[in-house]
Amino acid sequence: MVRHLPTLSIAMSVTSLALLLAPPASAETVTLGIGIQDTTTNTVTAGAVIRQLHLLEKYLPKDGKYANIKFEIEWQNFTSGPPVTNAMMANKLQIGMMGDYPLIVNGFTFDSNPESKSRLIGIAAYSLSGSGNGIVVHKDSPYYDLADLKGKLVSVPFGSAAHGMVLKAMQDRGYGSDFFQLVSQSPEVGSTNLQEKKIDAHADFVPFAELLPFRGFARKIFDGVETNLPTFHGIVARTDFAEKYPEVVVAYFKALIAANQWLRDDPKLAAEKIQEWTGINKEVVYIFLGPGGNMTTDPTIKPALIDAATADVKVLQNLGRMKEFDPKKWVDDSYIRKAFAEMKLDYDAQLASTKNYEISGEDSFCKKPITDPRKAGEVWVDDAGILPFSSAACTLGAYADFKAKGKKINVAYVFDGTRGIKLFANQAFFAVGNGEVAPFLLKKDAEAYAAKISGKVLGFDDAVKAAVGGGKT
Amino acid sequence: MSASAIAETTSVPATTPPVAPPSFSTLALRWYRLNRDGLRAIAIGIVSLAAFLLVWHLLTTYRVVFFVRFTNVPSPLAVYASFTKAIHDPKFLMHIVLSCRRIFIGFSLAAIVGVPLGLIMGRFKLAHEIIFPVAEVLRPIPAIAWVPMAIMLWPTNEQSIVYITFLGSFFPILVNTLHGMSLVDPVLVRAAQCLGARERSIFREVYFPASLPHIFTGLTVGMGVAWVSLIAAEMISGQYGIGYFTWEAYSLVQYADIALGMIAIGVLGLGSSMLIRGAGRLVMPWRLK
Repeated sequence: MVRHLPTLSIAMSVTSLALLLAPPASAETVTLGIGIQDTTTNTVTAGAVIRQLHLLEKYLPKDGKYANIKFEIEWQNFTSGPPVTNAMMANKLQIGMMGDYPLIVNGFTFDSNPESKSRLIGIAAYSLSGSGNGIVVHKDSPYYDLADLKGKLVSVPFGSAAHGMVLKAMQDRGYGSDFFQLVSQSPEVGSTNLQEKKIDAHADFVPFAELLPFRGFARKIFDGVETNLPTFHGIVARTDFAEKYPEVVVAYFKALIAANQWLRDDPKLAAEKIQEWTGINKEVVYIFLGPGGNMTTDPTIKPALIDAATADVKVLQNLGRMKEFDPKKWVDDSYIRKAFAEMKLDYDAQLASTKNYEISGEDSFCKKPITDPRKAGEVWVDDAGILPFSSAACTLGAYADFKAKGKKINVAYVFDGTRGIKLFANQAFFAVGNGEVAPFLLKKDAEAYAAKISGKVLGFDDAVKAAVGGGKT
Repeated sequence: MSASAIAETTSVPATTPPVAPPSFSTLALRWYRLNRDGLRAIAIGIVSLAAFLLVWHLLTTYRVVFFVRFTNVPSPLAVYASFTKAIHDPKFLMHIVLSCRRIFIGFSLAAIVGVPLGLIMGRFKLAHEIIFPVAEVLRPIPAIAWVPMAIMLWPTNEQSIVYITFLGSFFPILVNTLHGMSLVDPVLVRAAQCLGARERSIFREVYFPASLPHIFTGLTVGMGVAWVSLIAAEMISGQYGIGYFTWEAYSLVQYADIALGMIAIGVLGLGSSMLIRGAGRLVMPWRLK
């Protein structure tokens, strides 16, 4: 009697094991590879945030044709766009995200792929004025303007959005192709080289033009806004996948919309979480994605961005890097439109809007409401949070006040007086005089303004003293 | 060779009358007999390369997929088109010249440092005990991992690049020299000592020639690895070099140029290895064949 039991239990466990191993006859597993760039901060709501908050799983279709399909989502992280294109060509990734130039190369490369094409299906983040890309120099170097870099060694990752910015800037200023000694270096190599002063300047995409100054060894001397050519990071998908599983692509966009909402609901928490997930400092994340930040997260495909892409194609053609390619035919907004409709959102209204969310609230130092968000400022106090102030003078005043009270301050933000881009206050040049404190990215802008108000140009520490003294020098 | 055989060969010219110079066809035949094996190898080599190209062409033309996928791999003709474009571009020549120079300097330094160090470590136990652990820790580190450190270590980028190619060839040279030293027949050493040879002479006359074959194996392998580390090294360059050319093609997703860069590195690697083998034959005539 007792002897029979082991046999029975073995038989039972074998049967149950067999049941476990044999999947239901109809179930199918589909792998969805998504190529993301964790360190490229303006793509995080389309990548890292969705991954970490499991938003895609939430929206994936589960009934009808999908009842028996199990999706396995593979997030693959890269530091630039071309490897994403490579993996998409090899069908290891079905969805990918990257900056404007790599996107165009992606679309063009897929033209010769017999299996599938790629389509631009949505936008991760954009800056209509072209901010985000920038040129930095070593902080001890004597260069304050592009013109100072004549004949100098400038590195930029070729084929990146930053490369496009450099070419546009040279074209705008009428510089010949040999004005700089332009070489190609990846962000990793370029950053190290700049730190070691082996190159005179490094041009790069998000977030390096802010990250390197924040890390303390670089100074930004050129911002993409000066080219006034929109820049963006977008999302491309393989058509074979998107046509077979359109509902999955729609679900991805619902997740993206939810991720953008999550960011705007609590930008400080978002910045802290994104630092935890991607390793980019929260203060840098916030300058891009916070209120009044240099990037607008908006998934709609704006005509201005496609026009910019068309201009980018010309640049690549002039370099002999590309033949015929029409960005207009490459755009497919059907998935994002469907996601908007299913979430009861108005796509066309969002498409027409180019507004970012802005700094608002009450200035607790100057005791007045914030009326002009692009003249305002913010101070990130370690334990009190990110506090808004109505003007640069009030921001610096509050900064001094917090310092005097012995508070630990992470960073302070102000806005450039002419271009409206967000700056780290301690990196800015201040035109001070006549009771006015006006921050600028560029020394020459600050000098011009100081001459106008017959004041003078101060660095951050002196500007703080001047602000406490009522804006007198 | 026996004494009678020597007598025979030396006496032959004296007894036979002078012969007419051999005709062209006899010469050609003789040359063919002498080089038959070499010619055979060349012919088979050409056939096998042609077969490789043909297979590559067919796989990519018909976009074959059998687990390995050739859907988007560039065809030989596409690569050839890139090649014809590249040779008309003076920049391409510059890429090759600069890469060769970097490899030459890096490799020469590695040989100059690696061979004597290997000899010393093989001869003196203390040197072996001090250097070996460090070398063994550094040896497995891939070239690409050295990139950031190399940038910081050296004042100019050119030096950083040479440093990485140096590291690539240094360890194979060192390890093979050491191996050669450990295989030197102790009987030979003792014999030399019995004959009153000093340390210097033993080194010069016994250890060095005895380990030369292994040193040359090390040099050949080292040269190969120097080319292997070229792409990683030239990521730093940002402007010139065949490794940089390949890297830039990757960042612009130009598959034909990537393949062209790969093939150029392969061919240059082959050429430089052949040079070393040739040098080896000159230095070690006793090993001819």
